[in-house]
Amino acid sequence: MSFTPLVPLIGISDVVIGLSLGSRLFLIAVGLSLIFGVLGVLNFAHGGFYMLGAYVTLAVISNVVDNFWIAVVVGALAVGVVGAAIEFSAIRRLYDRVDSDLDQLIVTFGFVLVIHEAVRFIWGSGSYSIDPPDVFNFSVTLGGSTFNAYRLVVIGLAVGVLVALWLFITRTYFGSLVRGTSSDREMAAMLGVDVPRLYTGVFFLGSVLAGLGGALSAPIQATSPALGDQVIIDAFIVVVIGGLGSMGGAFVGAMLIGMMQSLGPQFISAGSIAIPFLAMVVVLLLRPEGLFGGIGE
Amino acid sequence: MVTEDSDTENKYKRSDAAETGSGSRSPVGRRRFLQAAGAGAAVGLAGCSGGGGGDGGPVTLGAAYILSGFASLYGEEAERGIDFAVSEINDNGGIDGRDVEVIVRDTEASADTAIQQIRSLVQEDNVDGLFGLDSSGVAQAVAPQISQLQIPFMITHAATPFVTSPQGEHEDSVGNEYVFRDSNSLAQDIYGAARVAQELDATEWATIGPDYAFGYETWDYFQAYCDGLGVEAEFTAEQFPALATSDYRPFISSILDADPDAVLTPLWGADLTTFIGQAESAGWFDQIDHTLFSVGMGTDLPSDGSPLPEGEYASTRYDPFVPDTETNNSFRDAYYEEYESLPTYNAEGAYRAVHLYKEAIESAGGTDASALVDEFTGMEHSGPVGDYRFSETNQATVASIWGTVTYDDEWESNVLDPVNRYEAGPDVLSEALGDSDLPTGI
Repeated sequence: MSFTPLVPLIGISDVVIGLSLGSRLFLIAVGLSLIFGVLGVLNFAHGGFYMLGAYVTLAVISNVVDNFWIAVVVGALAVGVVGAAIEFSAIRRLYDRVDSDLDQLIVTFGFVLVIHEAVRFIWGSGSYSIDPPDVFNFSVTLGGSTFNAYRLVVIGLAVGVLVALWLFITRTYFGSLVRGTSSDREMAAMLGVDVPRLYTGVFFLGSVLAGLGGALSAPIQATSPALGDQVIIDAFIVVVIGGLGSMGGAFVGAMLIGMMQSLGPQFISAGSIAIPFLAMVVVLLLRPEGLFGGIGE
Repeated sequence: MVTEDSDTENKYKRSDAAETGSGSRSPVGRRRFLQAAGAGAAVGLAGCSGGGGGDGGPVTLGAAYILSGFASLYGEEAERGIDFAVSEINDNGGIDGRDVEVIVRDTEASADTAIQQIRSLVQEDNVDGLFGLDSSGVAQAVAPQISQLQIPFMITHAATPFVTSPQGEHEDSVGNEYVFRDSNSLAQDIYGAARVAQELDATEWATIGPDYAFGYETWDYFQAYCDGLGVEAEFTAEQFPALATSDYRPFISSILDADPDAVLTPLWGADLTTFIGQAESAGWFDQIDHTLFSVGMGTDLPSDGSPLPEGEYASTRYDPFVPDTETNNSFRDAYYEEYESLPTYNAEGAYRAVHLYKEAIESAGGTDASALVDEFTGMEHSGPVGDYRFSETNQATVASIWGTVTYDDEWESNVLDPVNRYEAGPDVLSEALGDSDLPTGI
């Protein structure tokens, strides 16, 4: 790790890039956190879901309909269906096992490998990229620094998802079922809540969010089979920093990591990949439950 | 024989021969090319017996390239060159009357995988010789293993100078008698980059390269050559993002903030394609006067949509138009006829490796490993890349080739035009490295 001899110049574009990186991390981490908070399942395949969202979006644009937004919706929903199918066919059978944590870990890791190989089989091991939708595909120059307008769209959508999720969980009947079930599954079941169906629904929702993250990120990243592995590590760091099961924590943690990824190269020329890990270590030492852990939502 | 004339910088415009010849470019076609090549290959005079041959079974070679992941296009290109050489040789009497077959394995750009694959090729498939490798990091790990296996290995792409720098010369040197390289090394390539820098009106230089030995070595050699050649250069910023980074924007911003005049980048494979797209949208090519792509043409030609921006500089280890020889022109035309794209250096390096084995096996009269090593040592050879020999350290004395990226309508492809060839033999490199302790690897 060598230090650049320059005084780092932090421009507006660095902040926008950091927030856009944070936004895609939020979309994956919030689903990961939601699934863990409600089902108690730590889904290793969540990075694969994110990657699948990007691939399906690319496939729809190049083969079906040349409309980015339709492709994003299809990508997100397709991943939701895949997630629900995985929950229904495999994970559901593990809830009541004594060693369910370890079994879930192994099964979801199995799906990481399956998704990775399926992607390689279908799309090859090359790398794909697309342009942002035309209406947002222009450069914005602010304070002497330039960035693509589409990054602002990604940030806006991430904030929108945060607000919508919060309203959904706190203001709707389904949200109250989710909260109740995550607090006391047996009691919810005795009161007549169809817990298995609720779990599949939550898994579907978490998967849709991961797919949405991947789909929205397709224009600002290279989509390759390495993508899932890259983002899942960052997403785990985000939920550890933010606090497992906390939506606000996922948002704050994601934006922190996004900013670190954006500003890291301004301070060091190599090894900036390690900065989020260092941040995680610091948070774990000072506040093991995460910044927002233990705050009920 | 190559004449080592360091003071001579041969500026080639793409020769008219190529243009007139191709204005009426009668596609040579693979068959005609093979027949012509066959006429030159005097087959059937297997005067020597002995060695591992003589049983009439095929000669089996093992190759290891990246066939999956961020740089799979390199392996795909190498496979094309191999297929081309194998058909050509087998259609013309084989090697001393024996067919040649090549087993290609995927290194996945991982040293551990490469070592497993190579051991399997030697111990299970009993190959007579090995060639390949794309990644410097992998080559560095494989070279000592090759010495243990005691079988010749012809590296055709991986560029680190340390695999042809004899063990002990430098702390990272792993060169040994079994490891050869038929393409130019990073030390040769980056010498050319410094020669380009000499000509440019640029004083502040930066780099963005992959976060492993290859990225660092490129920058180290460039600085050493600039120092040795007296290039007026300041080195102001450096960024080394991890391999297979999906968003280069933070690294691009950091370089743009430093506002250098010129940047040398050894990014390669899909990483280079990704980087170029994101750099363009960040206004990189408007702000930075010159970008030098040291692995440019290897990625550009096979990728869709030719990512390299026109007017920037790129290097290659083989140019389809220079030298303007019958061997090169007929190889290029036949290859283009077959694959509808110009041959990349990875295709040519792999193609030539098969031919090198043919020549060594025929000269040794068999496939005995130590006899082949003796044949390769100091061998003089000629191929599409031109005439060259293997130096004392088993490195081919091929030129460093840099040129300006130009789109050619006729070939529907980026080419280097004009293109410069800098002779990069041992004396030239050691003089240019001046006081540096970096090895020439040649």
